[in-house]
Amino acid sequence: MDQLDILKSKWQSQKSDFPQYSKVQLTALLAKNSSSIVKWIFYIGIAEFVLLTLINIFYMDGENVQPFITAIGEPLYYGSYVFSYAVVLFFIYRFWSNYKNISAAQPARQLMKNILKTRRTMKWYIWYNIVFVMLFGLIYSYMALFNAPEFSKIIESAEFQQHTFKSVAIFMAFMALAFAVFCGFLYGVYSLIYGILLRRLKRNYEELRRMEV
Amino acid sequence: MSSDLEQEFVEQLEANQNIVHKICRLYTDNQDAHNDLFQEVTIQLWKAYPKFRGDSKFSTWMYRVALNTAITLYRKSKRRVQTQRYETVEFKIEDTTEDDETMEQLTLLYGAVKQLNDIEKALVFLYLEDKNYREIAETLGISEVNARVKMNRIKTKLTNIINP
Repeated sequence: MDQLDILKSKWQSQKSDFPQYSKVQLTALLAKNSSSIVKWIFYIGIAEFVLLTLINIFYMDGENVQPFITAIGEPLYYGSYVFSYAVVLFFIYRFWSNYKNISAAQPARQLMKNILKTRRTMKWYIWYNIVFVMLFGLIYSYMALFNAPEFSKIIESAEFQQHTFKSVAIFMAFMALAFAVFCGFLYGVYSLIYGILLRRLKRNYEELRRMEV
Repeated sequence: MSSDLEQEFVEQLEANQNIVHKICRLYTDNQDAHNDLFQEVTIQLWKAYPKFRGDSKFSTWMYRVALNTAITLYRKSKRRVQTQRYETVEFKIEDTTEDDETMEQLTLLYGAVKQLNDIEKALVFLYLEDKNYREIAETLGISEVNARVKMNRIKTKLTNIINP
Protein backbone atom coordinates (compact mmCIF):
# COMPACT_ATOMS: atom_id res chain seq x y z
CA MET A 1 0.00 0.00 0.00
CA ASP A 2 1.46 3.33 -0.95
CA GLN A 3 1.40 6.39 1.24
CA LEU A 4 -1.61 7.94 -0.44
CA ASP A 5 -3.64 4.87 0.41
CA ILE A 6 -2.59 5.20 4.04
CA LEU A 7 -3.85 8.76 3.94
CA LYS A 8 -7.02 7.55 2.27
CA SER A 9 -7.65 5.01 5.00
CA LYS A 10 -7.40 7.77 7.60
CA TRP A 11 -9.19 10.36 5.46
CA GLN A 12 -12.69 9.28 6.37
CA SER A 13 -11.95 9.43 10.10
CA GLN A 14 -10.68 12.97 9.67
CA LYS A 15 -11.58 15.09 12.65
CA SER A 16 -14.19 17.60 11.62
CA ASP A 17 -12.83 20.62 13.38
CA PHE A 18 -14.34 22.82 10.70
CA PRO A 19 -16.65 25.49 12.06
CA GLN A 20 -20.07 24.11 11.29
CA TYR A 21 -22.62 26.46 9.78
CA SER A 22 -26.14 26.36 11.09
CA LYS A 23 -29.19 26.41 8.78
CA VAL A 24 -29.78 30.05 9.59
CA GLN A 25 -26.20 30.96 8.69
CA LEU A 26 -26.37 28.97 5.47
CA THR A 27 -29.63 30.64 4.48
CA ALA A 28 -27.98 34.01 5.03
CA LEU A 29 -25.13 32.97 2.73
CA LEU A 30 -27.58 32.33 -0.11
CA ALA A 31 -28.43 36.00 -0.26
CA LYS A 32 -24.80 37.06 -0.72
CA ASN A 33 -23.44 38.23 -4.04
CA SER A 34 -21.39 35.92 -6.14
CA SER A 35 -17.97 37.09 -7.25
CA SER A 36 -17.41 34.30 -9.76
CA ILE A 37 -15.54 34.94 -12.99
CA VAL A 38 -18.65 34.06 -14.98
CA LYS A 39 -20.39 37.00 -13.43
CA TRP A 40 -17.45 39.24 -14.28
CA ILE A 41 -17.38 37.99 -17.84
CA PHE A 42 -21.08 38.73 -18.11
CA TYR A 43 -20.66 42.29 -16.83
CA ILE A 44 -17.64 42.97 -18.99
CA GLY A 45 -19.51 41.56 -21.99
CA ILE A 46 -22.45 43.88 -21.33
CA ALA A 47 -20.06 46.82 -20.88
CA GLU A 48 -18.42 46.00 -24.22
CA PHE A 49 -21.75 45.91 -26.00
CA VAL A 50 -22.90 49.15 -24.46
CA LEU A 51 -19.63 50.97 -25.06
CA LEU A 52 -19.10 49.83 -28.62
CA THR A 53 -22.73 50.35 -29.55
CA LEU A 54 -22.56 53.86 -28.09
CA ILE A 55 -19.47 54.55 -30.19
CA ASN A 56 -21.36 53.25 -33.20
CA ILE A 57 -24.37 55.42 -32.48
CA PHE A 58 -22.17 58.42 -31.98
CA TYR A 59 -20.32 57.60 -35.14
CA MET A 60 -23.36 56.85 -37.27
CA ASP A 61 -26.16 58.94 -35.75
CA GLY A 62 -24.37 61.93 -34.35
CA GLU A 63 -24.79 65.57 -35.33
CA ASN A 64 -21.97 65.37 -37.82
CA VAL A 65 -23.74 62.71 -39.77
CA GLN A 66 -24.69 64.92 -42.73
CA PRO A 67 -21.17 65.58 -44.02
CA PHE A 68 -20.52 61.92 -43.44
CA ILE A 69 -23.44 60.91 -45.68
CA THR A 70 -22.33 63.46 -48.26
CA ALA A 71 -18.85 62.02 -48.19
CA ILE A 72 -19.63 58.34 -48.56
CA GLY A 73 -23.05 58.49 -50.23
CA GLU A 74 -26.44 57.31 -49.02
CA PRO A 75 -26.39 53.65 -50.12
CA LEU A 76 -23.11 52.94 -48.38
CA TYR A 77 -24.14 54.85 -45.30
CA TYR A 78 -27.52 53.15 -44.83
CA GLY A 79 -26.15 49.80 -45.91
CA SER A 80 -23.46 49.87 -43.27
CA TYR A 81 -25.97 51.16 -40.75
CA VAL A 82 -28.31 48.20 -41.16
CA PHE A 83 -25.37 45.83 -41.39
CA SER A 84 -23.77 46.99 -38.16
CA TYR A 85 -26.99 46.68 -36.16
CA ALA A 86 -27.68 43.23 -37.57
CA VAL A 87 -24.18 42.18 -36.52
CA VAL A 88 -24.62 43.59 -33.02
CA LEU A 89 -27.87 41.64 -32.62
CA PHE A 90 -26.16 38.49 -33.85
CA PHE A 91 -23.36 38.92 -31.33
CA ILE A 92 -25.77 39.59 -28.48
CA TYR A 93 -27.62 36.41 -29.36
CA ARG A 94 -24.40 34.39 -29.47
CA PHE A 95 -23.16 35.89 -26.21
CA TRP A 96 -26.42 35.14 -24.49
CA SER A 97 -26.72 31.56 -25.73
CA ASN A 98 -23.10 30.83 -24.75
CA TYR A 99 -23.64 32.38 -21.37
CA LYS A 100 -26.78 30.30 -20.82
CA ASN A 101 -24.78 27.13 -21.49
CA ILE A 102 -22.49 27.75 -18.55
CA SER A 103 -23.42 25.62 -15.57
CA ALA A 104 -21.43 24.90 -12.44
CA ALA A 105 -22.77 21.33 -12.52
CA GLN A 106 -20.97 20.50 -15.78
CA PRO A 107 -17.83 18.40 -15.92
CA ALA A 108 -14.89 20.74 -15.20
CA ARG A 109 -13.47 20.60 -18.70
CA GLN A 110 -16.81 21.34 -20.34
CA LEU A 111 -17.40 24.25 -17.98
CA MET A 112 -14.03 25.77 -18.79
CA LYS A 113 -14.63 25.26 -22.49
CA ASN A 114 -17.98 27.04 -22.31
CA ILE A 115 -16.50 29.98 -20.43
CA LEU A 116 -13.72 30.30 -22.98
CA LYS A 117 -16.31 30.12 -25.74
CA THR A 118 -18.22 33.03 -24.25
CA ARG A 119 -15.03 35.03 -24.07
CA ARG A 120 -14.21 34.10 -27.65
CA THR A 121 -17.52 35.54 -28.80
CA MET A 122 -16.52 38.83 -27.23
CA LYS A 123 -13.09 38.59 -28.78
CA TRP A 124 -14.69 38.26 -32.19
CA TYR A 125 -16.95 41.16 -31.40
CA ILE A 126 -13.95 43.32 -30.58
CA TRP A 127 -12.18 42.18 -33.73
CA TYR A 128 -15.26 42.89 -35.79
CA ASN A 129 -15.39 46.40 -34.37
CA ILE A 130 -11.71 46.97 -35.01
CA VAL A 131 -11.99 45.82 -38.63
CA PHE A 132 -15.18 47.81 -39.09
CA VAL A 133 -13.63 50.98 -37.70
CA MET A 134 -10.48 50.50 -39.76
CA LEU A 135 -12.32 49.72 -42.97
CA PHE A 136 -14.90 52.45 -42.68
CA GLY A 137 -12.39 54.90 -41.35
CA LEU A 138 -10.27 54.37 -44.41
CA ILE A 139 -13.15 54.43 -46.89
CA TYR A 140 -14.44 57.56 -45.23
CA SER A 141 -11.01 59.20 -45.22
CA TYR A 142 -10.56 58.45 -48.89
CA MET A 143 -13.98 59.69 -49.91
CA ALA A 144 -13.85 62.69 -47.63
CA LEU A 145 -10.61 63.73 -49.22
CA PHE A 146 -12.40 64.27 -52.51
CA ASN A 147 -15.91 65.15 -51.35
CA ALA A 148 -15.57 67.11 -48.12
CA PRO A 149 -15.14 70.87 -48.44
CA GLU A 150 -12.45 70.91 -45.74
CA PHE A 151 -10.05 69.14 -48.04
CA SER A 152 -10.72 71.15 -51.20
CA LYS A 153 -7.80 73.47 -50.47
CA ILE A 154 -5.41 70.60 -50.25
CA ILE A 155 -6.70 68.91 -53.34
CA GLU A 156 -6.49 72.12 -55.32
CA SER A 157 -2.95 72.85 -54.24
CA ALA A 158 -0.40 72.59 -56.98
CA GLU A 159 1.69 70.08 -55.12
CA PHE A 160 -1.22 67.68 -54.70
CA GLN A 161 -2.17 67.99 -58.34
CA GLN A 162 1.36 67.13 -59.42
CA HIS A 163 1.75 64.03 -57.33
CA THR A 164 -1.82 62.89 -56.85
CA PHE A 165 -1.10 59.20 -56.35
CA LYS A 166 1.79 59.78 -53.98
CA SER A 167 -0.15 62.32 -51.92
CA VAL A 168 -3.20 60.11 -51.59
CA ALA A 169 -1.00 57.18 -50.64
CA ILE A 170 0.77 59.21 -47.94
CA PHE A 171 -2.54 60.49 -46.60
CA MET A 172 -4.06 57.00 -46.50
CA ALA A 173 -0.97 55.51 -44.89
CA PHE A 174 -1.09 58.16 -42.23
CA MET A 175 -4.80 57.52 -41.57
CA ALA A 176 -4.23 53.76 -41.49
CA LEU A 177 -1.47 54.23 -38.94
CA ALA A 178 -3.66 56.44 -36.77
CA PHE A 179 -6.49 53.89 -36.85
CA ALA A 180 -4.09 51.03 -36.18
CA VAL A 181 -2.71 52.77 -33.10
CA PHE A 182 -6.21 53.42 -31.82
CA CYS A 183 -7.33 49.83 -32.46
CA GLY A 184 -4.13 48.43 -31.01
CA PHE A 185 -4.78 50.35 -27.83
CA LEU A 186 -8.38 49.11 -27.71
CA TYR A 187 -7.25 45.55 -28.18
CA GLY A 188 -4.50 45.89 -25.60
CA VAL A 189 -6.92 47.06 -22.92
CA TYR A 190 -9.30 44.27 -23.82
CA SER A 191 -6.62 41.57 -23.66
CA LEU A 192 -5.38 42.84 -20.34
CA ILE A 193 -8.79 42.65 -18.70
CA TYR A 194 -9.53 39.11 -19.87
CA GLY A 195 -5.93 38.03 -19.37
CA ILE A 196 -6.07 38.86 -15.69
CA LEU A 197 -9.50 37.33 -15.29
CA LEU A 198 -8.85 34.07 -17.07
CA ARG A 199 -5.20 33.32 -16.34
CA ARG A 200 -5.95 30.59 -13.82
CA LEU A 201 -8.78 29.09 -15.85
CA LYS A 202 -6.58 28.82 -18.92
CA ARG A 203 -3.81 27.15 -16.97
CA ASN A 204 -6.23 24.56 -15.57
CA TYR A 205 -7.89 24.04 -18.93
CA GLU A 206 -4.48 23.40 -20.49
CA GLU A 207 -3.69 20.92 -17.74
CA LEU A 208 -6.89 18.96 -18.45
CA ARG A 209 -6.33 19.20 -22.19
CA ARG A 210 -2.80 17.84 -21.86
CA MET A 211 -4.11 14.82 -19.96
CA GLU A 212 -6.33 13.93 -22.88
CA VAL A 213 -3.59 14.00 -25.49
CA MET B 1 -37.81 30.76 -5.72
CA SER B 2 -40.05 29.07 -3.23
CA SER B 3 -38.96 28.90 0.36
CA ASP B 4 -39.74 25.17 0.37
CA LEU B 5 -36.99 24.64 -2.13
CA GLU B 6 -34.69 26.83 -0.09
CA GLN B 7 -35.41 24.89 3.07
CA GLU B 8 -34.85 21.57 1.35
CA PHE B 9 -31.56 22.83 -0.09
CA VAL B 10 -30.27 24.25 3.18
CA GLU B 11 -31.04 20.99 4.98
CA GLN B 12 -29.04 18.97 2.48
CA LEU B 13 -26.21 21.47 2.51
CA GLU B 14 -26.03 21.46 6.28
CA ALA B 15 -25.79 17.70 6.36
CA ASN B 16 -23.09 17.63 3.67
CA GLN B 17 -21.15 20.78 4.49
CA ASN B 18 -18.00 18.91 5.46
CA ILE B 19 -17.42 18.09 1.79
CA VAL B 20 -17.27 21.81 1.07
CA HIS B 21 -15.06 22.47 4.09
CA LYS B 22 -12.60 19.82 3.00
CA ILE B 23 -12.38 21.36 -0.47
CA CYS B 24 -11.96 24.83 1.00
CA ARG B 25 -9.14 23.66 3.23
CA LEU B 26 -7.39 22.02 0.31
CA TYR B 27 -7.61 25.07 -1.95
CA THR B 28 -7.00 27.91 0.48
CA ASP B 29 -4.41 28.56 3.12
CA ASN B 30 -6.07 30.76 5.69
CA GLN B 31 -9.39 30.98 7.45
CA ASP B 32 -10.63 34.13 5.66
CA ALA B 33 -10.02 32.63 2.25
CA HIS B 34 -11.67 29.43 3.44
CA ASN B 35 -14.82 31.32 4.42
CA ASP B 36 -14.75 33.28 1.18
CA LEU B 37 -14.60 30.14 -0.92
CA PHE B 38 -17.23 28.45 1.21
CA GLN B 39 -19.56 31.35 0.56
CA GLU B 40 -18.97 31.22 -3.20
CA VAL B 41 -19.51 27.45 -3.29
CA THR B 42 -22.78 27.87 -1.40
CA ILE B 43 -23.97 30.51 -3.87
CA GLN B 44 -23.02 28.38 -6.86
CA LEU B 45 -24.73 25.31 -5.37
CA TRP B 46 -27.87 27.30 -4.77
CA LYS B 47 -27.82 28.76 -8.27
CA ALA B 48 -27.46 25.31 -9.80
CA TYR B 49 -29.92 23.63 -7.44
CA PRO B 50 -33.14 24.20 -9.43
CA LYS B 51 -31.62 22.10 -12.22
CA PHE B 52 -30.58 19.33 -9.86
CA ARG B 53 -33.00 16.56 -10.76
CA GLY B 54 -31.98 14.01 -8.22
CA ASP B 55 -30.71 11.62 -10.89
CA SER B 56 -27.50 11.48 -8.91
CA LYS B 57 -26.93 11.71 -5.18
CA PHE B 58 -26.93 15.21 -3.73
CA SER B 59 -23.37 14.68 -2.51
CA THR B 60 -22.14 13.51 -5.94
CA TRP B 61 -23.64 16.57 -7.59
CA MET B 62 -22.15 18.66 -4.83
CA TYR B 63 -18.60 17.43 -5.47
CA ARG B 64 -18.87 18.62 -9.02
CA VAL B 65 -20.25 22.09 -8.31
CA ALA B 66 -17.91 22.67 -5.37
CA LEU B 67 -14.78 21.57 -7.24
CA ASN B 68 -15.79 23.62 -10.27
CA THR B 69 -16.14 26.63 -8.05
CA ALA B 70 -12.74 26.06 -6.45
CA ILE B 71 -10.92 25.38 -9.72
CA THR B 72 -12.70 27.59 -12.20
CA LEU B 73 -15.30 30.04 -10.98
CA TYR B 74 -13.84 31.40 -7.78
CA ARG B 75 -11.86 34.61 -7.94
CA LYS B 76 -9.56 35.19 -5.04
CA SER B 77 -10.55 38.53 -3.63
CA LYS B 78 -7.86 41.14 -3.24
CA ARG B 79 -9.44 42.92 -0.33
CA ARG B 80 -8.63 40.06 2.01
CA VAL B 81 -6.32 40.87 4.86
CA GLN B 82 -3.78 38.18 5.47
CA THR B 83 -4.92 36.64 8.71
CA GLN B 84 -3.35 33.78 10.53
CA ARG B 85 -2.62 30.74 8.44
CA TYR B 86 -4.04 27.37 9.33
CA GLU B 87 -2.07 25.67 12.05
CA THR B 88 0.88 23.71 10.74
CA VAL B 89 -0.77 20.44 11.63
CA GLU B 90 -3.52 20.49 9.08
CA PHE B 91 -4.51 16.93 9.15
CA LYS B 92 -6.21 15.63 12.26
CA ILE B 93 -7.89 12.35 12.91
CA GLU B 94 -10.13 11.28 15.71
CA ASP B 95 -8.30 8.09 16.34
CA THR B 96 -5.41 9.10 18.59
CA THR B 97 -3.93 5.64 18.92
CA GLU B 98 -1.78 6.27 15.87
CA ASP B 99 1.85 6.60 16.69
CA ASP B 100 3.61 9.89 16.20
CA GLU B 101 5.59 8.70 13.24
CA THR B 102 2.52 7.77 11.22
CA MET B 103 0.87 11.06 12.09
CA GLU B 104 3.95 12.93 11.02
CA GLN B 105 3.97 11.03 7.75
CA LEU B 106 0.33 11.86 7.13
CA THR B 107 0.85 15.53 7.88
CA LEU B 108 3.81 15.57 5.54
CA LEU B 109 1.76 13.91 2.85
CA TYR B 110 -1.12 16.32 3.25
CA GLY B 111 1.36 19.17 2.96
CA ALA B 112 2.62 17.63 -0.28
CA VAL B 113 -0.94 17.36 -1.65
CA LYS B 114 -1.39 21.07 -1.00
CA GLN B 115 1.60 21.77 -3.20
CA LEU B 116 -0.03 20.13 -6.22
CA ASN B 117 -1.73 22.18 -8.91
CA ASP B 118 -5.50 22.77 -8.96
CA ILE B 119 -6.37 19.84 -11.20
CA GLU B 120 -4.09 17.38 -9.43
CA LYS B 121 -5.60 18.40 -6.11
CA ALA B 122 -9.07 17.69 -7.46
CA LEU B 123 -8.03 14.20 -8.56
CA VAL B 124 -6.40 13.42 -5.24
CA PHE B 125 -9.37 14.79 -3.34
CA LEU B 126 -11.87 12.62 -5.20
CA TYR B 127 -9.54 9.65 -4.76
CA LEU B 128 -9.35 10.24 -1.02
CA GLU B 129 -13.12 10.56 -0.91
CA ASP B 130 -13.20 7.02 -2.27
CA LYS B 131 -14.66 7.93 -5.66
CA ASN B 132 -13.98 5.41 -8.40
CA TYR B 133 -12.19 6.37 -11.60
CA ARG B 134 -15.41 6.57 -13.56
CA GLU B 135 -16.75 9.22 -11.18
CA ILE B 136 -13.44 11.09 -11.12
CA ALA B 137 -13.35 11.08 -14.91
CA GLU B 138 -16.94 12.33 -15.15
CA THR B 139 -16.39 15.10 -12.64
CA LEU B 140 -13.37 16.44 -14.50
CA GLY B 141 -14.60 15.69 -18.00
CA ILE B 142 -11.70 13.45 -19.00
CA SER B 143 -11.55 9.78 -19.90
CA GLU B 144 -11.33 7.08 -17.28
CA VAL B 145 -8.04 5.76 -18.63
CA ASN B 146 -6.46 9.19 -18.49
CA ALA B 147 -7.72 9.75 -14.97
CA ARG B 148 -6.03 6.53 -13.93
CA VAL B 149 -2.78 7.38 -15.71
CA LYS B 150 -2.73 10.84 -14.19
CA MET B 151 -3.42 9.47 -10.72
CA ASN B 152 -0.42 7.16 -10.96
CA ARG B 153 1.76 10.08 -12.01
CA ILE B 154 0.51 12.14 -9.09
CA LYS B 155 1.38 9.31 -6.69
CA THR B 156 4.93 9.32 -8.02
CA LYS B 157 5.05 13.10 -7.77
CA LEU B 158 3.89 12.99 -4.15
CA THR B 159 6.50 10.41 -3.27
CA ASN B 160 9.14 12.65 -4.80
CA ILE B 161 7.95 15.67 -2.84
CA ILE B 162 8.06 13.75 0.44
CA ASN B 163 11.37 11.97 -0.23
CA PRO B 164 13.40 14.42 -2.27
